[in-house]
Amino acid sequence: MTTRHRPGLAETLETCRPVPPAKPNILKTLLALQSALSHVPTSAIPQIAQVLGVTDAQVAGVLSYYSDLRTQSPGRHLIRVCMGESCTANHGGRVLRAIQDHVRVAAGGTTPDARFTVEQMSCAGNCAVSPTVMIDEDLCGRVTPSEVPSLLERYR
Amino acid sequence: MKTTRCYLANDTSSRAAGAGRLADAWSDRPEIQLIRTSSRGAFFLEPMVERDVPNGREAWFNVLPNDLPRIVGGVGGTPIAEIPFLQQQARFTFANFGITEPLALDEYQTRGGLKGLAAAQSLSPEAIVEALRISRLRGRGGAAFPVWKKWQAAQQTGSELKYVVANADEGDAGTYCDRMIMEGDPFRLIEGMMICARAIGATRGYLYCRYEYPAAARTMRFAIQKAREADLLDCDDYPFDLEVVTGAGSYVCGEETALLESLEGRRGVVLAKPPYPAESGLYGKPTIVSNVLTFATIPNILANGGAWHASLGTEGSRGTMALQIGGRVKQPGLVEVPFGLTLHDVLDRFGGGMAPGSRFKAVQVGGPLGSLFPESQLDIPICYDAFAEVGAILGHGGIVVYDDETDMVELARHFMAFTADESCGKCTPCRIGSVRGREILERIQAGEGTAESLDLLKDLGETMKATSLCALGGRAPYPVLTAIEHFPEEFKKGLTH
Repeated sequence: MTTRHRPGLAETLETCRPVPPAKPNILKTLLALQSALSHVPTSAIPQIAQVLGVTDAQVAGVLSYYSDLRTQSPGRHLIRVCMGESCTANHGGRVLRAIQDHVRVAAGGTTPDARFTVEQMSCAGNCAVSPTVMIDEDLCGRVTPSEVPSLLERYR
Repeated sequence: MKTTRCYLANDTSSRAAGAGRLADAWSDRPEIQLIRTSSRGAFFLEPMVERDVPNGREAWFNVLPNDLPRIVGGVGGTPIAEIPFLQQQARFTFANFGITEPLALDEYQTRGGLKGLAAAQSLSPEAIVEALRISRLRGRGGAAFPVWKKWQAAQQTGSELKYVVANADEGDAGTYCDRMIMEGDPFRLIEGMMICARAIGATRGYLYCRYEYPAAARTMRFAIQKAREADLLDCDDYPFDLEVVTGAGSYVCGEETALLESLEGRRGVVLAKPPYPAESGLYGKPTIVSNVLTFATIPNILANGGAWHASLGTEGSRGTMALQIGGRVKQPGLVEVPFGLTLHDVLDRFGGGMAPGSRFKAVQVGGPLGSLFPESQLDIPICYDAFAEVGAILGHGGIVVYDDETDMVELARHFMAFTADESCGKCTPCRIGSVRGREILERIQAGEGTAESLDLLKDLGETMKATSLCALGGRAPYPVLTAIEHFPEEFKKGLTH
């Protein structure tokens, strides 16, 4: 059995080191780190700043600005319930409640077994097939509260 | 065994409706060969399976895995030409949707793709801008600014380096046409951006795609790679390269100056204008930032001439608009129609009325910053001027219908909370005003509002409209104030006298 190599912080950061005349790009760097590590720990800020040649404050500023950048690792599966207008009009709120009740964690939280993190999201752009739940990269449409248990069963 | 060739959409919304499960269920069935196309936009019928018949195609709607024998047997299909939702549209920008495979460059060309670029290559940069001027195309992202004016400014600004940026940060709730274009007809967007690059003299382009659209970003990267391999990007020794960059969940990054800040890797904060990006944009260089739908509209204009485009629509709104119908309607989906139909027509003819068991209450046009319309105001024609006259916006063409179960105070609170969450914080009216607005609405919800609460909210709204730096703060009061205007009794219930 082979295990897939997962690049670490230093290794990923090295691929983002700006080569002149290219300028450092903080957001791109943080997205690359998140993609490799699942999140960007705030403890890494000085190291990131040093490689990019920017200040700690600049890195911290970008990290805290964007809602899709996370400083903590989410659960194995990220459930995002769309709260856009079309989903709201089609009772997406009831779907959110059903999910919270089923996994016993409120939006923003992670289950104790780290299986699920539940979040609300703004419009997923799936308005014609709403209400929408995004699980990892899968988009599920026309979700009803009653099908929540069977839907989540697919994600162990 | 004879294999039947069938077509099934592969875009995000069709998959969310079950197209992926259908493809999985049929993956080992020898009697069928599935071609994965873009979606026609009639999402209420998805997953929809089509097959060729002598005069076009027939379709089966809301298909389940055990419908396979019927489809293979040719039983019970509906000719595409007889689907009213599709029949009554004027498909130009979306002409390929449901028909082609998104990444098949040869199919794109067979169906008229790259003709606009070829036409642009035979024209001088000034003549390309002139064609845009004659077309009277206005930006489709929301601001509706005449496209040619931007291009002319960028063209006339001297610089050895210029940029073209496609704004694919489609954050307006209720809109998805940009996602459909990126996932469904990516070469049209690339072609539009290349025409712009030729007109202004840009050698580099970026597509700024929101984080919530991973499939769109993936398709665009594949399409750019294919175009590069086909020597399409560097045609006639004119160097051009294109890169997809993703955002990270900030609504205000759809505003052009914030988008450019984000593209440079900083916080997506709005900057004061002037200077306009067309003169000083990305890294201080002349930059055209236009919405995906705007770029995708351009190839047809160059191929058919500006006058062709100007012959469609109304006086101030030429061409067609992609309207995206969502919320509590029977037939949610995308329609491309010339400007000028009334809102009532669109909801009735395409939306098909309300979802079973629900009654109409209000419709919001133009995303989370758009005004609400009650039933008595649905005769408004869909065009920029008529909407501007009543202080509303068409925005990016999102139309969301609410039913009578909707709590308007909660909806108003939701809008203010959205702005408070998404404000970039640069200007005070938006940063503080949205929080104060949300707090007032929360007090009304808790039954703690006073007679002055609504006056205060209106006053706050007027201040935000007049003094905010960008449309986020400037437009945020509209849905709230129109909710109060049309449904005052709901707000008054939460007031103590």
